[in-house]
Amino acid sequence: MVCVQHLFKQYRNADTPSVDDLSFSFEKGKIVGLLGPNGAGKTTTISILCGLIGEYNGTVNVLGFDVKSHNCELKKKIGVVPQQIALYQNLSCRENLFYFGKLYNLSGNTLSKKVDELMHQFGLYEHADKQIKNFSGGMKRRANIIASLLNSPTILILDEPTAGVDVQSRSMILSFLREYNQSGHSIIYTSHLLDEAEALCDDVLIIDAGKKIIQGQPLTIIAENNTASLEELFLKLTGNKVRD
Amino acid sequence: MKRIIATYIKEWHLMRRDLGGLALLFLMPVLLIVIMALVQDAPFRDYKDHVFNAVFVDLDKGKTAASIKEGLLESKQFNLIEHHENKAIDIATTKELIQKGTYQFAIIIPDGVSAEVVNSANLIANEMGRQMGLPASLPHRETRKGKSVQLMFDPVSKPTFRLAITNVVEKFITRIQSEIVLERIAKLSQKEIADTSTFDIEKQLHVVGVKEISSQERKDVLNGMNSVQHNVPAWAIFGMFFMIIIISESIIGERLGGSWTRLKLIPGSFSDILVGKMCFYVVLGVIQFYLMLLVGIYLMPFIGLPSLQPGHAPFLLLILVSCISCCATTFGILIGTIFKTSNQALPVAAISVVILSAIGGVWVPVEVLPDSLKTVSLISPMRWGLAGINNLLLRESSWRDIIEPCGVLLGGTLITMILSWWIEKKRMSQ
Repeated sequence: MVCVQHLFKQYRNADTPSVDDLSFSFEKGKIVGLLGPNGAGKTTTISILCGLIGEYNGTVNVLGFDVKSHNCELKKKIGVVPQQIALYQNLSCRENLFYFGKLYNLSGNTLSKKVDELMHQFGLYEHADKQIKNFSGGMKRRANIIASLLNSPTILILDEPTAGVDVQSRSMILSFLREYNQSGHSIIYTSHLLDEAEALCDDVLIIDAGKKIIQGQPLTIIAENNTASLEELFLKLTGNKVRD
Repeated sequence: MKRIIATYIKEWHLMRRDLGGLALLFLMPVLLIVIMALVQDAPFRDYKDHVFNAVFVDLDKGKTAASIKEGLLESKQFNLIEHHENKAIDIATTKELIQKGTYQFAIIIPDGVSAEVVNSANLIANEMGRQMGLPASLPHRETRKGKSVQLMFDPVSKPTFRLAITNVVEKFITRIQSEIVLERIAKLSQKEIADTSTFDIEKQLHVVGVKEISSQERKDVLNGMNSVQHNVPAWAIFGMFFMIIIISESIIGERLGGSWTRLKLIPGSFSDILVGKMCFYVVLGVIQFYLMLLVGIYLMPFIGLPSLQPGHAPFLLLILVSCISCCATTFGILIGTIFKTSNQALPVAAISVVILSAIGGVWVPVEVLPDSLKTVSLISPMRWGLAGINNLLLRESSWRDIIEPCGVLLGGTLITMILSWWIEKKRMSQ
């Protein structure tokens, strides 16, 4: 499903590469956790996977498409939930979703049904006509996810989807991700919440300074490294030094 | 097309909730138009419309001074001040009053002017009589003294004002001199002509006069610039360009807020989204311009100013205004693309609009700018927009007359679009 080989990306004016000779692959239908400390290269890797950054070295293949040459075809099949709330704050939830839906060439009843269905699923139907700026943090996160599901993506990529949300919203988001995965969709997500990743992911990839540190099933790699949890393993492999 | 319309509707929803932005778009230009039209009304009017308070000092006490005084009062352009604090004004008081700026200018008739005018008239009459074979000779001195009616101006008065007043006074002196010469010739030939009802000297002197005629075929086309005719289109264009603040703010807000990223993650051409955004602001700019035009036509007469003449080519005006709006919109997109934050973009946007308006003839017509600035003004889209609008509103223009301004404005639109695309592409590849 995802195959990355010798990926290298250094931003202009940066002293060190953000991603340095990174190679990994994932199978279809899994929930994969892309983990790493701050500045490890997670967001850059995700941006390359979804075709947002076009200048890099190495080969990146997602769902059988080369990201560089088949960018448009790929975008039709993936959904990306950015770390930021990528919605118009002065538009209502419904207006936002209708707008993005229309950009995906959805319209009429199809779009209306899809928007209502997703808002129901994420508990936002009652607040559909409220402006996003009046939403709580958790509601904004949920609306942010809905906007990425309008094209029914085969693969959903989420950048820290549960950062800064309350327990209830977090639980709802994680339940949805499990359900979505069970319906045959693949999920790649980044998080700093390692207990969450340990419980949710089929596979994790830990990277640091743009390089792969370890990849495998959470329980397997925890056991292989004689640690009690994913968090302990993470600290063992990436060190205790605070990152900027 | 669906994506373009969706983006247009999205921009409409965003704009209708942005009351500050709407105020900036519509109230600010109205205020500018009203204030600037009022402020610039006086400089645009001819001096003949004014009544001037002038200090009049008569040291001559003769016929010439009396005639000049009578002529000035008859013209109804001058209110002559001869007393200050119940005392006759002398030269020292005149200097003091003019220096203080109490009055803008003074007319001083020096002692002996009448005698000199009469002597000069006698000389001319004698010479003419000699040539006609008349024997009589009027008394005269051969040595002619140079005498001048003196004008004293407030140091801050403008050269054009000084010139206008000097011309008016000179005109009166010439007329008086002509009358005295005629009177002397009559005296020489022992005939009275001054009181004859059949001979009108004033009329005869103006048989060949100067008359302004219109270059325009149509009678209902305004012949000449006034404050409203300059300020309404000029500040309406300024208002359209002020829209770049809102456009750049919108683009930066989308980029920083993350929605720009989401838009780029959606399959399909990103240019659809940019075109949708552009269409919205182009239409908004056109609406803004026409509202300002309505202000010029209907509001200006209520504040004592002339009504704006909207010209006779509404379709050509719409094309030209659309081109101006296109240029303003893409300029806003360029500013929003170049700068990463609003703090960087807003001062640049505001200052660049003010500079482009200053060199583009919004503040004062390009014709009065120094030659160096006239050349620089060619880079200002406002100059081209204003030139085109003046062509349509004040001249009997055809579509040929707007080809050049429209071409330049669309060229500017294209250049700013390409620059924005190139900068965004560079940023994406970093």
